[in-house]
Amino acid sequence: MSWRSWRRVRQAVQIAFFVFYIILIFSVVQRRVAPPLADIFFRLDPYSALGAMLASRQWIAKFALALVTVGVTLIIGRVWCGWICPLGSLLEWVSFKKARKRAASISPQWRLAKYFLLATSLALALFGGLTLLVFDPIAIFTRTLTTAILPGLFYAVNSVETALYQVSFLSPALDGFEGLVRGVVIPVEQPAFTQNLAIATLFFGLIALNLLAHRFWCRYLCPLGALLGLLSKFSLFRPVIGTSCTQCTRCAVVCKPGAIDTDPEDFHIMPAECTVCLDCMANCKPGDIRFRYRLKPAQTEEFDISRRQALGALASGAVGVLLLGTDLRLRQDNPWQIRPPGVNEEDTFLSTCIRCSQCMKICPTTALQPALTQAGLEGLWTPLVVPRVGYCDYGCTACGQVCPSGAIPLLTLEKKRSMVIGKASIDRNRCLPWASGMQCIVCEEMCPTPQKAIRLEEAEVIDSSGQASTVKRPSVLRDLCIGCGICEHYCPLEGDAAIRVYDA
Amino acid sequence: MAAFVSAGYDVIIKPNICTDYHTPEYATTTNPTVVGTLVTMCLEAGAKRVRVMDYPFGGTATSAYATSGIGDAVEAAGGEMHVMIPAKYTWVDIPEGRDITKVKIYPDTLEADLLINVPIAKDHGATRLTLGAKNLMGVILDRDMMHMNLSQRIADLTSLVRPPLTVIDAVRILTANGPTGGDLADVKQMDTVIASRDVVAADAYATTLFGLTGSDIGYITASADMGLGTMDLSSIDIQEITLG
Repeated sequence: MSWRSWRRVRQAVQIAFFVFYIILIFSVVQRRVAPPLADIFFRLDPYSALGAMLASRQWIAKFALALVTVGVTLIIGRVWCGWICPLGSLLEWVSFKKARKRAASISPQWRLAKYFLLATSLALALFGGLTLLVFDPIAIFTRTLTTAILPGLFYAVNSVETALYQVSFLSPALDGFEGLVRGVVIPVEQPAFTQNLAIATLFFGLIALNLLAHRFWCRYLCPLGALLGLLSKFSLFRPVIGTSCTQCTRCAVVCKPGAIDTDPEDFHIMPAECTVCLDCMANCKPGDIRFRYRLKPAQTEEFDISRRQALGALASGAVGVLLLGTDLRLRQDNPWQIRPPGVNEEDTFLSTCIRCSQCMKICPTTALQPALTQAGLEGLWTPLVVPRVGYCDYGCTACGQVCPSGAIPLLTLEKKRSMVIGKASIDRNRCLPWASGMQCIVCEEMCPTPQKAIRLEEAEVIDSSGQASTVKRPSVLRDLCIGCGICEHYCPLEGDAAIRVYDA
Repeated sequence: MAAFVSAGYDVIIKPNICTDYHTPEYATTTNPTVVGTLVTMCLEAGAKRVRVMDYPFGGTATSAYATSGIGDAVEAAGGEMHVMIPAKYTWVDIPEGRDITKVKIYPDTLEADLLINVPIAKDHGATRLTLGAKNLMGVILDRDMMHMNLSQRIADLTSLVRPPLTVIDAVRILTANGPTGGDLADVKQMDTVIASRDVVAADAYATTLFGLTGSDIGYITASADMGLGTMDLSSIDIQEITLG
């Protein structure tokens, strides 16, 4: 088979993995049960795996799959980047004509940035912090789809439908469409996420950087690419330019990641930068770029991370951990820092959660929201239960099913129901029966524990019209409350609920 | 069923599928056999389509349909589980409403040729019992506002929906910690199904299973007061049919 055909195979594989990734995304949108492969892309990701294992000081069996990626890379290079990574594929497809010219004026030294980011995030992980995993490419893509793109898409569908339902003869067609998609592709509840704009800005910013260079993110910034790049320096088979090369530079022109050094003195392919896309091989006039067996590590490049820079990254990691660990959170707990069910120790959680946002995606009530600073800066984009947005469903164990690192444990339904994530507390100054003598008690009705954790007592009151009447007043039985937050969610008061769940 | 269904009818069955928490033996959601049997009867009577729907407050429709066993029972009987479409809810006036005069409602439930209201009889904190009229709250979206004056607003909603047939599932009833339940000790096996054209009468009769009367339940008195039915059990013809 010619290199041109192989290139087509690669493109087909890329599309297949991309489609697979998107299907998986949709298969876990607001579900109670996750399909078995739901977290496969994360489990194949050695950057997240290494980070989580370093920070949590444990072998995480689910991440064993990442060894496959490591193995493949050690054999034939960054196949992950050129064939599998969905963000990489997207960035390859969004390509701008002028980017190649502009890239020529960017110093290759900038490629160091990704190695430095890798080294700093692993150093941070070594000292127990995983904050920088927010830059994992799969996490970036998943988080953006979860919090920004899919909610926008579903909102658009609902809006268009609302308009079209006004036209009565379209109703049967719309009903038919709904019957196919609602609860299958489109969730029953419209999702909404805090910080969707910031998360989307990061994502579209990364895409916009493609204006400056093809696959800008992959070349200069991606920490996973950096890790695989370092491994690629040792891969057994590398694309190597043969002796019949005329230095026509056609290969360099077509190379998306710019992995070919065209210095006439030292014309060569840099394996650490190469995404194994085969474009150079397919375009080589003499046809003399081939995978060649090499045992010796690839030559060092000017932008490779030096020992001193690596030490600098290590120091940055240490300082980062100290600074992140000594923000106000050290002395003052956030009362609304409610973690998903089964999470006990906050520190353990922060050093195991890879910030992938899978839990937020699957949560059927979208109760799980990305934290900004509520859990300290260290907890950026980790999941928090925000009951006013969504409650922790008493019939659901979904978040633990999709957590790739086990930061949220996989629990049986029975066990999950016994997990206390917080405690509800009533503000009698605002609660309608307490403050205004009005009938309400929605909270008691919603409370899902078999023996209700909200007790009602009857009281004679003078209501707002001056009439004597009897109302039922709620109070929380703390021993029974599991903090699911359904009371807070449905409290009919405007603005903040009169019953709120606090971290317990 | 032939008295209610003519050939080609589009039927909607509205059970109580309030949460995705428990399986049927906990008596928090309508008995799937009751719902499945009604689907079969409608189809045998010539209905062209039978859709079953509710909008749970705990969990999503799809998960609640599965846990309640109603999804399987309905599909086995040849009916459709319908996930209510957010875009479809429309504002409708309640001409006879005493407290609320309009409500955002799922239009299909008003437009269907026949709406069968199939609640399960169970305990409920605010209203003491949730029965037929209370079950109609599943067809509206904003239920928070209902609780401000629950009894009258349920009656107002009933005056709009006026279900032509109410079938109360009292095969198992939940006697405490409702409407969510979860403790089998609160479940009582009654093996009773109550059917009536008059939702108020059906509700009034169902209260007797709990040792209460219709006048104990605010929305029953409010509905009777609006002339939506009778709560006077002595004035109606009650046929008790005992099956093997």
